[in-house]
Amino acid sequence: MKELRSPQQEAAEDIFFGQLVIIWARWFVILTGAILALWAASSISELTVASILIVALMAVNFFVHGRYMMERPINRTLTGLVSLIDLTIITLIVLAWRGQTGLDSPFFIFYYPVLAAFAFVFTPGFTLVYTVLALISYAGATFVSDPAALLQFQDLELLITRLITLAAMGGLGTYYWRIQRNRRRLAKNPQAERSRAPAGD
Amino acid sequence: MTNKFRLTPQDPEDLMYGQSVIVSARWILVVSGLFLALWNPGPMSELRMQILFILLLAIANFYLQAQLLMKKPASSGVVYFASAADLAVISVMVILGGGFESNVYVFYFPALLALSVAFSPASTLLFAGGAAGFYTFISFGSALFGDIDIQVLIARLIMMTAVAVCGQIYWRIERDRRSAAVKARKSLVAQLREVQAATD
Repeated sequence: MKELRSPQQEAAEDIFFGQLVIIWARWFVILTGAILALWAASSISELTVASILIVALMAVNFFVHGRYMMERPINRTLTGLVSLIDLTIITLIVLAWRGQTGLDSPFFIFYYPVLAAFAFVFTPGFTLVYTVLALISYAGATFVSDPAALLQFQDLELLITRLITLAAMGGLGTYYWRIQRNRRRLAKNPQAERSRAPAGD
Repeated sequence: MTNKFRLTPQDPEDLMYGQSVIVSARWILVVSGLFLALWNPGPMSELRMQILFILLLAIANFYLQAQLLMKKPASSGVVYFASAADLAVISVMVILGGGFESNVYVFYFPALLALSVAFSPASTLLFAGGAAGFYTFISFGSALFGDIDIQVLIARLIMMTAVAVCGQIYWRIERDRRSAAVKARKSLVAQLREVQAATD
């Protein structure tokens, strides 16, 4: 039985079904951001700025989640754009939130679920770009916050460790994405040889 | 798009496919662990212990990788034990690095991601909950020797949960897509047979 779907149609289906993972990753980031903002804000202006940011993110995610629940999920371009906004916001938090910036910022961990979710949904090519962008953003944010820190042996070790684990999220996510696509193709066409199943996007 | 959470028993095929993700995550742990140990070595005895741990992990992973290459994946018991050992090794490294102050906790993220796409929801809940619980215990234990930032600890725990939940959501979405594909194929084959029977 010949496969009727093109790789482009399959990728569109991946976005259609898989964007729930990205939505939930974003809800977790919003939840954590809200807890931290309400708990840790030390002034009215700090709380105001944090609240506006969180409400804006909630509004975006509510719109995206609502569309998904109505079975009219947003398209690939919009999903990619919103994911880029996620990266930007997390990088801004690493750069500026609560005086703990760059390598000292504990909020770089927001990158982990966001990267994993993106890798589950998008094709390997897009995931590679997104992961590299996240790594550059984080490394750039640490460099901008304290250029001298990266010349220190221990700080550089810390940065490399974090970059390796961040890259691992993108890599493992995309690896599992490939496995699942091959399994799906096999489910549609059991005669296909497992080892011959194409892996590229 | 109706993905209700339900506890399902472990599907051996899921475990077989997911095992390769777990093995890959473990290679990342081995290579990064070796890099960390050699980059900024501590005292000789400590370095010796670290390298011994890493080599044992590498040997065990080589065995599992070889099994996968020979298309004879390890049994579920072995996979569960190996994943528990991964989380235990990361936890030991966190304890040795000073508990809450240690930066090694980031290795929990790829480990949890890998097991969340391989294991059933119940097993993922058990492993992820165990890792988060143990990390909380380690962090509060290290509070005896210094301050811990509760807010940061909560953020770390939520992100660990987020990674495991995202893995599980994707696991369920793909399972539903596969079963829909199988149903569609069966229905198409049945229709083709009907048409063939009618024309014969």
